Amino acid sequence: MGFVRRFLARPTTVVGLGVFLLIVAIALGAPLIFARGPFSIVGMPLLPPGAPGLLAGSDVLGRDMAVGLAYGARISLLVGITSTFGAVGIGVLFGAIAGYYGGVIDDLLMRVTEFFQIIPSFVLLMVLVAFLQPSLTSTVIGIALISWPQVARVVRGEFLSLRSREFVQAARVLGMRDMAIIFTQILPNALPPIVVVSSMMVGTAILTESALSFLGLGDPNLLSWGSMIGGSRSAMWVAWWTTVLPGLAVMITVLALNFIGDGLNDALNRRRRR
Amino acid sequence: MALVSIRDLTVSLPPGADRALAVEDVALEIGRKEIVCIVGESGSGKSVTAHAVLGLLPRGVRAERGSILFDGTDLLKETQDAMRRRRGCDIAMIFQDPMAALNPVMAIGRQISEQIRTHRTISEHEALEQAKGLLEEMGLRDVAGLLKAYPHQLSGGQRQRVMIAMALSLSPRLLIADEPTTALDVTTQAQILKLIKRLQEAREMSVLLITHDFGVVADMADRVAVMRHGRVLESGAANEVLSNPAHSYTRALIAAVPRGEGRLAPPSDMRPLVQVTGLTKRFRRGGLFSRSQATVAVDGISLTLSRGETLGVVGESGSGKSTLARCVIRLLDPEAGTITLDGADIAHMRESALRPLRRRIQMVFQDPFSSLNPRQTVGDILIAGPRAFGEDTKKARSQAADMLRLVGLNPQTIDRLPHEFSGGQRQRIGLARALMLKPEVLIADEPVSALDVTVQAQVLKLLDDVRRQMNLAMLFITHDMRVAAQICHRVMVMRHGKVVEEGPTHDIFNTPSSDYTKALLAAIPGHGLL
Repeated sequence: MGFVRRFLARPTTVVGLGVFLLIVAIALGAPLIFARGPFSIVGMPLLPPGAPGLLAGSDVLGRDMAVGLAYGARISLLVGITSTFGAVGIGVLFGAIAGYYGGVIDDLLMRVTEFFQIIPSFVLLMVLVAFLQPSLTSTVIGIALISWPQVARVVRGEFLSLRSREFVQAARVLGMRDMAIIFTQILPNALPPIVVVSSMMVGTAILTESALSFLGLGDPNLLSWGSMIGGSRSAMWVAWWTTVLPGLAVMITVLALNFIGDGLNDALNRRRRR
Repeated sequence: MALVSIRDLTVSLPPGADRALAVEDVALEIGRKEIVCIVGESGSGKSVTAHAVLGLLPRGVRAERGSILFDGTDLLKETQDAMRRRRGCDIAMIFQDPMAALNPVMAIGRQISEQIRTHRTISEHEALEQAKGLLEEMGLRDVAGLLKAYPHQLSGGQRQRVMIAMALSLSPRLLIADEPTTALDVTTQAQILKLIKRLQEAREMSVLLITHDFGVVADMADRVAVMRHGRVLESGAANEVLSNPAHSYTRALIAAVPRGEGRLAPPSDMRPLVQVTGLTKRFRRGGLFSRSQATVAVDGISLTLSRGETLGVVGESGSGKSTLARCVIRLLDPEAGTITLDGADIAHMRESALRPLRRRIQMVFQDPFSSLNPRQTVGDILIAGPRAFGEDTKKARSQAADMLRLVGLNPQTIDRLPHEFSGGQRQRIGLARALMLKPEVLIADEPVSALDVTVQAQVLKLLDDVRRQMNLAMLFITHDMRVAAQICHRVMVMRHGKVVEEGPTHDIFNTPSSDYTKALLAAIPGHGLL
């Protein structure tokens, strides 16, 4: 398999993939390993990592940090992946139609895209989430709504160049309908950059979710890495682990996703050089 | 003694390439004041040989054995730095695509003067004066303006002249020209070849000309070497090789050069199937905020096409021939005029009304690489048409296998992807795709211009066989008069969107009435010699 070999050619990709799979495993296994849940108080507050029975110490309320980190991974990955799917869905639809039809339709759709791009996206996100009431759903919807223009731009560019290729013209001559041409002829050829952008976007979405939760705009019933940092910021100077550990978790996850994105970029875009 | 003598040159390719050696035991002499042609098809090793002389082999490609003596010194033993000083000074090169070889953001004058000043210590002003002299020597007009122009503002012919001027700016003793006219129109090609010949004589230099066209050889070469699969099959004085080729491959190459005989008998049934009248198409540039400019690509063209007949549309780039083809098949929407297909006017039909008629008129495209979806198997590519008309997948697949056989491909290859096929085979797949819908009209837009000459002959023959078998009306777009002569019953010559001349192929070739057609015919390389 040429693809797998090219994908794993960089050591950073292998590391990124390994770390990401580990995080996924922790997220999936959290309820099995830590059945008591992240909110239960297990001891004195602000115990350092390594205290008896507390691998990562305890937070300001005496909750087990390790449990919080494991459960936080669930939220981060869930938000990252679902909001990316949403963003890719909207972005592909907008980009494909704008790029394929061009002209007035393109102008119109691109103006809508620009509308989302020129507004400071995080401010828009905060307003959206506050308006919809903070919850997991509103976070996902909000992040998807501020991220899709990037996908739309990439897809539009790919469609603009691919639609003039002769095989697309041949499909039109054969009497294929526009939707069939867009989805069966052009989209498969535009997938590599979409996959690369999406893998990076999962990382950005995780960062955004953390920032929202830090500001207290996350789902109040769920513990996420961002809300862990936000809740512990008063203890930052006396108990470094309460903020540094969730921060590291975010950083490592995003870095792993970026490494995977780089590897996908190398593996998928090589044969397109022609 | 010869200026360059290449002995036993063997160049290896990096592991994983389709063969181990790019060229093997190549021996070639280039005498002083001599034009030597290397002829070969793609992959023959002709470009690698030329690049080895310049010391510009791509990464991973290495000269393993042999020597390249230039005036007594072995170039393969020279240091990188010594070779850099020689390039431009002793040996210069011009390329196929001058647009890619020129710096797009630097004015022509500066590009030439910089080239001179890399090797000589003279002032900018003096260098520019020299550049001016060189451009005049190339037969260019308005030199002062050209020096300030950027590459994209020049025509293809002008760009190639600028490239030659740059190459000759330091009076090299050897000029290497790698397919210098392949990207150019036939009349421009003739001018550039004439220019190279004139300069070679005036400057008493040697020229190594790489080409795939025996017509060019006949016009230019003193001596010729024929290459195939990295080996020199035959070499000798040009007129000897041309008149008395020793190797069967050389004979095949010479035989494959289209001659322009035009002796196809006209079809029996002359009722028009397609009738085009007053077709006009303008292109507008500019958008919402800029004033739009319109160029007339097709200007009131009329034509008729009968069943079983091939009409050739010949013209240079920008003549509007491709736009005409795309309007007739309604990939573009014409502005004015009518296109009747068997009585129905399709010129302004809505796409939904047009769709059922689409299966009657099909197209073969130019580029064997971009005309097939790289992610679909041959089978999926072929059944796309029948599937769009609601046919059963299983039935369509069995038809596809039959169709592959018809175009001369193994039906077992139905599950392969396009990249596993050669250029000629891909064109066959493209033809099979068009024929799957059993069309009555076939539009072929430069279907053989990207192919090697021997493959070209095979595909042309296939097109003609298919036309006969299926009684197709064929509209054949080409820039190559020789190709048109082989396959067309009638020829229409186009220029600037208008018809210059139209008539039976034989008449157009033997008694052309317009000056433009005469010029086109005179520009055919090897004209009269082959």
